[in-house]
Amino acid sequence: MKRSNKASPAWQFSGSGLRLIALSYLVLLVVLPLSAIFYDGFREGLFTFLENILRPSAWAALKLSLWTAAVMALFNGMMGTLTAYVLVRYDFWGKSFLNTIVDLPFAIPSLVTGVMLVALYGPEGFLGEFLQEGLGLRILFAPPAIVIALLFINFPVVVRSVQPVLEELDPSQEEAAATLGASPWRIFRSVIFPAIRPATWTGVLLSFARALGEFGAVVVVAGNLPLFSQTAAVYVWGEIESENRLGASAMSIVLLAVSFLLVLLVDWLQTRRRAVHAT
Amino acid sequence: MLLKKTKGFKPLLITIVFVYLLWLLGLPLWTLIQEAYQEGWTKISQELFSLEVLRAFGLTLLLCLSAVVFNGIFGTALALVLVRQNFRGKSLIFGLLDLPFAISAVVVGYALILLFGHGGILAGMAEALGIRLVFSVPGMVIATLFVTFPFVVRELLPVLQELGEEQEQAAATLGASPRQIFFSVTLPNIKWPLLYGLSLSFARALGEFGAVLVVGAGIAGFTETATIFVFRALEERMYAGAYGASLLLILLSLILLISMEAVKKAKN
Amino acid sequence: MFVFVKKNFPSFFIVALLFLSACQGDLDFDRQLIVGAYTAPREALREINRAFEKKWQQEKKQSISIKASFLSSGAQSRAVKDGFGAQVVFLALDSDVERLVEAGLVDPQWRENTPHQGVLVESRVAFAVRAKNPKAIHDWSDLLKPGLTLVTPNPKTSGGAQWNVLAAYGAALRGHVHGFEATPQGAGNFLKVLLRQVLAMDKGARDSILSFERGLGDVALSYENEILTGQRYGKKYELVLPKSTMRIQNPVALVKANLKDPLQKELAQAYLAYLFSQEAQSIFAKHGFRPVLEGMKNKFSEAEDLFDISFFGGWSKATRDFFAKGGIFVKASEGARTDF
Repeated sequence: MKRSNKASPAWQFSGSGLRLIALSYLVLLVVLPLSAIFYDGFREGLFTFLENILRPSAWAALKLSLWTAAVMALFNGMMGTLTAYVLVRYDFWGKSFLNTIVDLPFAIPSLVTGVMLVALYGPEGFLGEFLQEGLGLRILFAPPAIVIALLFINFPVVVRSVQPVLEELDPSQEEAAATLGASPWRIFRSVIFPAIRPATWTGVLLSFARALGEFGAVVVVAGNLPLFSQTAAVYVWGEIESENRLGASAMSIVLLAVSFLLVLLVDWLQTRRRAVHAT
Repeated sequence: MLLKKTKGFKPLLITIVFVYLLWLLGLPLWTLIQEAYQEGWTKISQELFSLEVLRAFGLTLLLCLSAVVFNGIFGTALALVLVRQNFRGKSLIFGLLDLPFAISAVVVGYALILLFGHGGILAGMAEALGIRLVFSVPGMVIATLFVTFPFVVRELLPVLQELGEEQEQAAATLGASPRQIFFSVTLPNIKWPLLYGLSLSFARALGEFGAVLVVGAGIAGFTETATIFVFRALEERMYAGAYGASLLLILLSLILLISMEAVKKAKN
Repeated sequence: MFVFVKKNFPSFFIVALLFLSACQGDLDFDRQLIVGAYTAPREALREINRAFEKKWQQEKKQSISIKASFLSSGAQSRAVKDGFGAQVVFLALDSDVERLVEAGLVDPQWRENTPHQGVLVESRVAFAVRAKNPKAIHDWSDLLKPGLTLVTPNPKTSGGAQWNVLAAYGAALRGHVHGFEATPQGAGNFLKVLLRQVLAMDKGARDSILSFERGLGDVALSYENEILTGQRYGKKYELVLPKSTMRIQNPVALVKANLKDPLQKELAQAYLAYLFSQEAQSIFAKHGFRPVLEGMKNKFSEAEDLFDISFFGGWSKATRDFFAKGGIFVKASEGARTDF
């Protein structure tokens, strides 16, 4: 369909006034603070920037952030898709409650999340005691705690990304495949997943990006030992507080760059999804 | 009709999801309630009903309302511009939209201080205008707006795209002004996602901690929000107050989200 | 629907503005003073501030409000440097005050212009151990027992943590840690193996001891006053003072740049004088700090070998030598995780 917006410019929300307002809000609120960080990180040149990233404690923090976020995002992708599927396709007792509960992590201050997890997985906590005594596992103050905290915080992201797409998806295809004797796994792989794949990836990447920057909960549960359990966001905070602004800005730029690329990827996926949807 | 094979799958999947949610969300929440319960409600109310704590909740409410008002207006405007207009660099802006999600809240506060703090890049400008943007409430508002920025836009973009512009064009042909079109055609169509985005903004603003702490320095009774109070209460071993305030915060956002769902259902 | 929204947008604004004014104004006080402090003296300072407000009200018939912000020492100092308008700072260590001197906010002569050379209270680096001391920890070398875990805050963000690091290194350098040579190399080695025992580095001294209270670690390296405060709140851990430890001195200073109004200057100076009064110092003592006034010091036991920051040539040298890029602590903490 050819859009005919040029035909009736009088009504369109095409006023440059609106665009100016909307874009300046974006620039003032988002672009300006971020450019301050870029300016600050590169003020002593690329070499110092690299040196600040490649210091052992900085590099280790970056690696830790990347792998914990990746593990969380993949797991979250799996469980989030499953949750969305159950919420959309099945009717059962407590469903609407479950549906509301999904957003709960958005509502809980991340600091409180951290405190709850310490209370649960700490040496005196219900699960912590069990895991420590029974299995000799220590979760708190080690990378597993980071993954759990990130999972808690990002749980809604994948569900809320996949859910609307599943709602649009006609269940008759799944039923047809089932009548033809396809196994549930096969149905999922060849009927459902192709349709929701972009949405799942969107959720996975978004939760990954969010996880890179997460601070409030992680700082409480991680233990923050340099080279072991200190994430990049916590590292940035330490550098800010100890007045190594260059180090703080440099690491922030790396995190920003990774997130930005991911977000562009998400956007590309969504455009593709729309394209697929339209045909 | 599904075959038996898939039918047996249903309870299994539901159980998995229930167990997963119970472990991930339920257990921590239950622990928190347990801890609060052990402190006793009288002690909780004692530590919560003080002028400082009321002020903290008042300030949090102010930040939440600012997020709702500003993001409601500018977020909707931005979504409209991004969907209905074509201009160069649009895809770059799409990339910028989600960035606030991905940035550590601490860095947000730090960026504001780099800009407006003592000796900051734009400190002179702010001073000339007579506004204090760091270590003050306005700075905390800005930090909150930053972290809540993507919610409304993200909710509106897909809806506006799917909505298309036929209705809007029809209204225009009938001679309606852009303003009339927006309020009588566009807005009614996007009100649910808009409300959803706004309540997410509200909830997020309610829980924000790192950015407002860095920008506001958390002075009790002045720049202390409800979450900063939780932080302070934990540090001062006022566990009753800390757990009580946390539960109150959770309750507030839960009520918001549940009533959203309920209203939505009633309308449909 | 749209009528509702349209009608209500202005009122949203009005509500918001009302809140804004409600939260910002402190019109009910004649004067106010903001104190920027580190986290350990929370309870003591709160009590002192209320006492001073009452005293001022009685003597001058003016209602005043002393507000306090508590952040880790480094964070607090940075906030003041970045424009946080605290008029009095009470920090964990001198270098955090010196940072404000460099920024031109605090008078370079602050030590001379404040009673007791600007040292408001003292403390010691000490260990908190579980009730009845099950792991039999009495001195530094006991901390290296196999399988034992430690908590200490992060020196990047916590002043208390920097005191801890210097105390451990200093005790070894002075020959009081069994099995380590009294040389810079021996002391560095001790620091390295000690850091290997560390389970978690919280952001501040208070967070660290709170983690210990939640059951983490066998020993918490902390300020003596933090441990005593915890005990005051009914926590059942014990205090162990090692044979050789460090004299912690916490400085207080006026932030001259934030005292423009002469009335406020008067209030700030009166407040500062009050902090050194018998009354305020005994409140500090009640909360586990060692008072600086002569004649009040005797209630605490003392370590055999006590040294202070001058042993390391003052804070500015110690900060450079230990915590700057390539410093002794940075090397030791990187070595603790890499070389075995």
